[in-house]
Amino acid sequence: MASRKLFALPALVRVTIARSARPFSVLNRPPPRYEGHVPLNAFERVTLAAGSAVMSLMNPRRGDLIAALGETTATPFFIYRLRDAMLSNPTGRRILRDRPRITSKTMSVTKLRALPENGVGRAYVSWLDREGVSPDTRNSVKYIDDEECAYVMQRYRECHDFYHALTGLPVFVEGEVALKAFEFANTLLPMTGLSVFAITRMKPAERIRFWNTYLPWAVSNGLKSKDIINVYWEEELERDVDDLRNELGIKRPPDLRDTRRSLREHKRIAREKRDMMGGLRAD
Amino acid sequence: MIGRGFPKAPRSYICPSCSRSFKLQSRRHATAASPDVYDVVCVGGGPAGLSLLTALRSSKATSHLRLALIESQDLERARTWNLPPDQFSYRTSSLTPSSLSFLSQIGAWPNVDTSRVQPYRHMRVWDGLSSNSRISFDALTSEPPIASMTENQNLSRALITSLDDLPIISLFDKTSVADIHLGPPLSFPAESPTSLDLSSYPHVTLSSNHTIAARLLVGADGVNSPVRTFAGISTRGWDYDRHGVVATLKLPPGTGHSRENPQRVTAYQRFLPSGPIAFLALPGDYATLVWTTTPPQATRLKALSTEDFVAMVNAAFRLDVVDLNYMFTLDSGQVDELEWRESVHPGNKADLGGETPQHIASVQEGSIASFPLRLRHASTYTTNRVALIGDAAHTIHPLAGQGLNMGLADSRSLASAVEHAVLHGADIGNEIACLDRYNEEMWMSNNRMLGAVDKLHWLYSATSGPVVGLRGLGLRTVDALGPVKGWFMRQAGAL
Ligand SMILES: Cc1cc2nc3c(=O)[nH]c(=O)nc-3n(C[C@H](O)[C@H](O)[C@H](O)COP(=O)(O)OP(=O)(O)OC[C@H]3O[C@@H](n4cnc5c(N)ncnc54)[C@H](O)[C@@H]3O)c2cc1C
Repeated sequence: MASRKLFALPALVRVTIARSARPFSVLNRPPPRYEGHVPLNAFERVTLAAGSAVMSLMNPRRGDLIAALGETTATPFFIYRLRDAMLSNPTGRRILRDRPRITSKTMSVTKLRALPENGVGRAYVSWLDREGVSPDTRNSVKYIDDEECAYVMQRYRECHDFYHALTGLPVFVEGEVALKAFEFANTLLPMTGLSVFAITRMKPAERIRFWNTYLPWAVSNGLKSKDIINVYWEEELERDVDDLRNELGIKRPPDLRDTRRSLREHKRIAREKRDMMGGLRAD
Repeated sequence: MIGRGFPKAPRSYICPSCSRSFKLQSRRHATAASPDVYDVVCVGGGPAGLSLLTALRSSKATSHLRLALIESQDLERARTWNLPPDQFSYRTSSLTPSSLSFLSQIGAWPNVDTSRVQPYRHMRVWDGLSSNSRISFDALTSEPPIASMTENQNLSRALITSLDDLPIISLFDKTSVADIHLGPPLSFPAESPTSLDLSSYPHVTLSSNHTIAARLLVGADGVNSPVRTFAGISTRGWDYDRHGVVATLKLPPGTGHSRENPQRVTAYQRFLPSGPIAFLALPGDYATLVWTTTPPQATRLKALSTEDFVAMVNAAFRLDVVDLNYMFTLDSGQVDELEWRESVHPGNKADLGGETPQHIASVQEGSIASFPLRLRHASTYTTNRVALIGDAAHTIHPLAGQGLNMGLADSRSLASAVEHAVLHGADIGNEIACLDRYNEEMWMSNNRMLGAVDKLHWLYSATSGPVVGLRGLGLRTVDALGPVKGWFMRQAGAL
C-alpha cells in the first residue's frame, strides 16, 4: 500500500530554494536603503572590519574607526539579536516606533542642568561636563543594511553616554574598557568585546585593577541586569539614578577617579615617608 | 459460507430506537442469551467506519454480509448536513489522490459535493526561523492535484448516501457501546444442531440494553476506542503539549486563488517554533487554517477579538517570530502591532508574488476551534475477531494532514482482506485466515508515517542551535537527493 501510494502521487516537477541575499560587486552596488547607507558586500565587510580593528587598536581616539568596526562586526547576527531584545520588550518596541534621537537639540544641556540633583538627566549632564563631550559627538550609522537595525545601532551609540552616567565610569581608557566589557555582557555586540583588547594599552597596575575589580563587576552586572537598550532615557531624565540602577539590577562600580586619586594619595604619602626615612638614614 | 446456519433475517434499518431488530431477535430465539449475530459489527461512524462499510457493500464478494453500525451520534444529522455556499465547516481534511481513487472505487466520490472541494497543485513550505530556506512543490496541470481539501462532513454525507443506495445494513445510531464481552461457552448437549459456538465472538451490549454478536468486530471508534480497550490492545505514544487551532478564513471578496486561476491554487505552511501554521484554500474566497501551537497560545487566540485574531493569522505568515511571541503576550492591539511591523518591512506587504498567502479579511463566525494533538499507535491492529481502523488504531500530528487518509487506507486494506477471506471460504474473524493480511499490510507503513511526522515535529520545534542551521541546509539538500525528495514530498504533499 505504501509503495502504491508513493506512485499514485503526482511526480512533482520543481523544487526551488530561494535565497534572499544576492552577492554583488563594486560595479553593481545596490542603492542605499536609508540616508547615509553604504551597502557593502561580504568581502568589503570583512576587510573593513579587519582594517578598522587594527587601526583603532593603534589609535583608540579614532571614533569613526571604532564605529566602522562596530557596524561591520554586528552584522548579520548580533545587531538582529539586539533588535530582537528590543522587539521583545514593550518599552523597546515603543522606542523602535518613535525612533527618538539624542542630539544637543533634543537633549538641551541647559534644561538638563536644571533637573533634580541625583536625577538621571543631571548625572548625564554632569558627566558630559566632567568629560568635556557633547551629545553630538556620535557618528552616523553607514554599514548596516537593514534600516531598522541601523537605527538600533544608532540608538545604542547615542545612549552610550547615558551608560557612563549610569555607571559613573569615566571616559579614559580604563573606564572605557570596563564599560565596554559591561556592554558586551549586556548587548553581546562583538565590537564591545573586541574593545576589551585595549587593555594591552593599560599600565600594569591598571590592568591588575581591571582583572580583579572591573571585569568581574562588568560581567556579573552586564549579564544579570535587564537589557539597557530598552531604557527610554528621554522619559527617565527626572528619575533618581540609584532608583533606575536598582530597577535595572546594576550595582555601581567603585569610582575610578576616586580610586585613582586615593591611589595617588597613597603613593604620595608613601613617597614622603620614604623620603623622610631616607633623610633619616642619611643622617 | 458466511452466516450459514442462521435464519436469513431481512436486513433493515433499525432507527432510531432499534426496536425492529429487537423484535426480530425475540422472534427467533426464545432465550435472551442467544443474541443477534452479524458478520461485521462496526463501532464508530466516522470517515473510517463509514468507508469500510461502503467498501464491503460495494464489492460483489462481500455485499451479502450482515453488517451493523453502532454510532453514538445521530447519523440523520450527518445525512442531511447542508451549508450555504458561503459557509464552510472548520473540520476540513486534504485528501490524497490515493484516497480519492479509493472513494471513487467504492462509489462514494460522486456523492461528494465537489463544488465544496478545492484541489491544489502547488505548495510552499518555509521555516519561520530562517525564512530564506523555503521549498516549493509544483504539479503540472496534466498531473493529478497534490491533494483536495474536503470538509469531513461532506465526505461523511457522501458515504452515508452511498450506503443508502446499497443493500441495507443494521444501523444503531444515537446508541453507544455500553459493554463488550465474549459470548458464553457452548452448552452441552447443544440446544440445536445449528447452534454455533459463540464463546469466541465479541458480544456488544448497546446503551439500549440490546446485545449483538460479531464474527468480526471493527473498532472505528476514534482515539478513545472502547473496542481497543475490550481487545486489550495497548498503545504507545505521547501527547505533544500542542493544540491544533482550526478556523474557516475569509479572504477579501474576489481575491480567492481558486476563482482567478484554478491552476494556481497553492497550499502554504510555515514552520514556527511552536509548530506549523497552514493555509489551505477552499472554493471561492475561503480558506481553512490549521495552526499548531502551545495550549496557552491556543487559549489566547480563541479569546481574541475577530480583528485581532485576523491580525495574528496574517502576522503568523509574515512577521518575525520575535514579533509573534510579543503579540501573543497582548490581550488586544494585535491589529496595531501588525500594521506597524508591516510599515517597517514594506517588502512583506506585497505578499511576494504568491510566496505567502494573501491577507485574510475575516474569520467565519463560530468557526474557531482547537484540538489537543497526540501521537498514538496501537501495538497491533488485530486480535481474534477484532480489527481496529482509523484513529482507533493510530493518531497522528496533523502537520502532514495524514490522519484521515490513513484511516481510509485502513478501510481499503481491511475490506480487501475480508473480500479475500470470503472468496476463499475462510472465517473473516480469524486472524491467520483473514486479519493478519490487513495488519501486515498497514501496521508497518503507518508506523513509518507516524515516525516521520513525529520527527518533523521535533526537528522544527528547535528554536536555536545547530539544528536550525541544519534545517535550512536540509531543505536545500532535499532537492539534490532524489529519494529523499520523494519521501519529503510524500509527507508534505498530503498536507
Ligand atoms: C486539527 C486537526 C486537523 C486535521 N487535519 C487533517 C487533514 O488535513 N487531513 C487528514 O487526513 N486528517 C486530518 N485530521 C485527522 C482526521 O480528522 C481524523 O484522523 C479522522 O477524523 C479520523 O477518522 P475516524 O473515523 O478514524 O475517527 P472519528 O472521526 O473520530 O470517528 C469516530 C466515531 O466513533 C464514534 N464513537 C466513539 N466512541 C463510541 C462509542 N462508545 N459508541 C458508539 N460510537 C462511538 C464517534 O461518535 C465518532 O463518530 C486532523 C485532525 C485534527 C485534530
